[in-house]
Amino acid sequence: MAQNPSTQDIYDAVIVGSGAGGGTAVQVLIDKGLRVALLEAGPMLDVQTEFKEHKWPSDYDHRGAEDGGAAYFGKGKPFGFFSTTSGGWQLDGEPYTVGEGSQFQWFRSRILGGRTNHYGRMSFRFAEYDFKPYDRDGLGTNWPISYQDIAPYYDKAEEFIGICGTQENVASCPDGKFLPAPPPKVHEALIKKASDKLGIICIANRRAVITKPLNGRAACHYCGQCGRGCQTASAYSSSQVQVFPAMKTGRLKVFDLAMVREVLTDGNGKATGILYIDKRTRTEKVIRAKTVVLAASACESTRILMNSRSKEFPNGIGGGSGLLGRYLMDTVGFGLSGYVPAMEGMPHYDTDGNGGAHMFMPWWLWDKHNTLDFPRGYHIEIGGGYGMPGVGSYHGAARRYGYGAEMKKNIRDGYGASIGFAGRGEMIPNEHSYSELDPTVVDRWGIPVLRFHFKWSDHEWRQARHMEKTFAEIITTMGGRVSGLSAAQREADGISVPGTIIHEVGGARMGSSAKNSVLNGYCQTHDVKNLFVMDGASFVSNPDKNPTLTINALAWRASDFMFEEMRKGNV
Amino acid sequence: MSDFVQIETIEPVGRRAVIRGIAAALMAVGTLDLDAAQHVHESTGAEKAKGTYKVKAFEPAEFKTLERLAEIIVPKDATSGSARDAGAPEFIDTLAGQNETLANIFHGGLAWVDAEMRKRHQTTFVDAQPPQQIAMLDALVAAERDEALRRSEELVYERSARYKDFSGYTVRRAGDLGPGVFFFDWVRKMTVDAFYTSPIGVKDLNYIGNRAYSKYTVPQEAMDYAMKRSPFA
Repeated sequence: MAQNPSTQDIYDAVIVGSGAGGGTAVQVLIDKGLRVALLEAGPMLDVQTEFKEHKWPSDYDHRGAEDGGAAYFGKGKPFGFFSTTSGGWQLDGEPYTVGEGSQFQWFRSRILGGRTNHYGRMSFRFAEYDFKPYDRDGLGTNWPISYQDIAPYYDKAEEFIGICGTQENVASCPDGKFLPAPPPKVHEALIKKASDKLGIICIANRRAVITKPLNGRAACHYCGQCGRGCQTASAYSSSQVQVFPAMKTGRLKVFDLAMVREVLTDGNGKATGILYIDKRTRTEKVIRAKTVVLAASACESTRILMNSRSKEFPNGIGGGSGLLGRYLMDTVGFGLSGYVPAMEGMPHYDTDGNGGAHMFMPWWLWDKHNTLDFPRGYHIEIGGGYGMPGVGSYHGAARRYGYGAEMKKNIRDGYGASIGFAGRGEMIPNEHSYSELDPTVVDRWGIPVLRFHFKWSDHEWRQARHMEKTFAEIITTMGGRVSGLSAAQREADGISVPGTIIHEVGGARMGSSAKNSVLNGYCQTHDVKNLFVMDGASFVSNPDKNPTLTINALAWRASDFMFEEMRKGNV
Repeated sequence: MSDFVQIETIEPVGRRAVIRGIAAALMAVGTLDLDAAQHVHESTGAEKAKGTYKVKAFEPAEFKTLERLAEIIVPKDATSGSARDAGAPEFIDTLAGQNETLANIFHGGLAWVDAEMRKRHQTTFVDAQPPQQIAMLDALVAAERDEALRRSEELVYERSARYKDFSGYTVRRAGDLGPGVFFFDWVRKMTVDAFYTSPIGVKDLNYIGNRAYSKYTVPQEAMDYAMKRSPFA
């Protein structure tokens, strides 16, 4: 049963979720001297036990296949044993459902810091034109804010988090405040040559990895294992970079294993706190606060809003707009790999680097859409190098070569000679892609779950075909050959399953009024002035840029605004 | 480095201290000398003490077959030892000992391999002549390739089904050799995994990462090698 609120502290702010948005809100609000409660649905993070940085497969008797060879049966950890993913596509007791005819997969991380502990750290600013997409091609909706509104917050976020990169003056991917970028690896230098020839822009990658010491964090030591979690916090995670330092102030109280059900309101348009289920005791608890920040991830925050039903908000907070849950988006993904004979027999060197590619290709045709059969654009991420051998690394090669001395030699000779490209493109928000509450299913905490509906349109399919053609061209221009599937097979399997790029955003989009949106341009709900949503739910469009940096910047801006409004007595 | 044997993981506190050591070293000067980096590298990849391996999931005859298969699948050559040397049979046994489904795949598959060899040469796989063993595995690989070709044709035929889940795709097995193809894929993939994740395999491939540096550089020698052989020379 809920506790008597009068016996409880009243915090200045309660923040739900500790990832990029929640972590940034914690950092900014704690810096301003507020007393904050932070709720995380997973456990506290113990970096020493959770992060497997520097371990070898042979340090484990299962070599990474996990106990009983779970990975061989598709039951291992998503992204492998060594990854620090603490969650997955399916969580025990916390289901979601998918409407008939749709496909959608929802990745949830349940640990302090959420997905920032393991994400790719790709950090690209949205372009000026990304905020006004409707003005450009009549599709989707404009944001209520412009690049100029967010630019100072990109500056702040980049300077605080630490992003490496180079100044390039490319309109589709604005420059920022960068630390020095590491040099291209050999395959990347070849890819750049091929890109130059094809008129594709290829520049230093921009990743949230510091190459110089910053705020007491050590510079990257180039072990290449950011996905395992970074012991030295050289790769940004909200847990290590924002939440842990905030805890030292004594003004932040972290509630872990706290599954939030709803925002509580007073019947007069004001939030009074949140109600959560304490997973340890399976009891309902209440936290009272002057302001409430939802940053539980785009879909989880949407779900909380939907479940925040009252006489005042019979369809949930923001439900009156008819837009809650609507215009859910993921990134368009397509990948292709190739084999490059020029690198066969090359003297081996350490290609681990700063954990991701050192180069990438921003969208290079931003002013040539009249020549294309799809709107918007994509960027290209690069893979390749001499990776640490792991379980599954050579299954494909083994099938190709059979077995024996020839197989062994071919694997050795081909090691490091393969490259891969991943396209990450913008989806046009559509009517068929949304979430709603499932009418019958609840999770083990008794909370109604989301039911997803999702469809790619021809815009996305055509974009994926353009990616395929482009990647094949780059590979052949390097003197390489496309690996694996035939062209027809690639077409059959030729676009990512919705949700699987883990860039799901939208659902509580921002806009100019309560009629066309759930939030205003400061991530504040139109319905409840002291309630903010500081994660990807606010996104109006989903440009090809990976969303995390923009979530950081929007959360920073919203936190500044919220603090000012509190100071003025407006919330 | 040693063969794969019963594992004693590195004492975790020691490793934590090492990692804390790097963090501290990096904080202090913003750089890290290579000695410290190598210390981390070697401590975390430390050799395991060699002991006598006790087979858990298999009969002695089954284990012998796994050993022979490991020698054939990844044989010893001028560069490195075999998958048997790298501990592949022990790896398979360890996991099979934890998972009955996996154990049964191997019990059944190993029995099929012996039955097939008896049909061909009236003896078990292990006791057959090496050319007879090779001929049988060659037949399995040939059947596997035929099947892969057929599968890819069917896949193309189905390509209009955009949302089709290909993981549920039913593969028609390769006639009488079907169970052998299925089993060989299992024993091969686990043998290959065991080999390349072992210290022997890491050395065979000459993977030289998992280290720590204060600065990242790409050797000019490698760059020149690839550029000279590329269309951009």
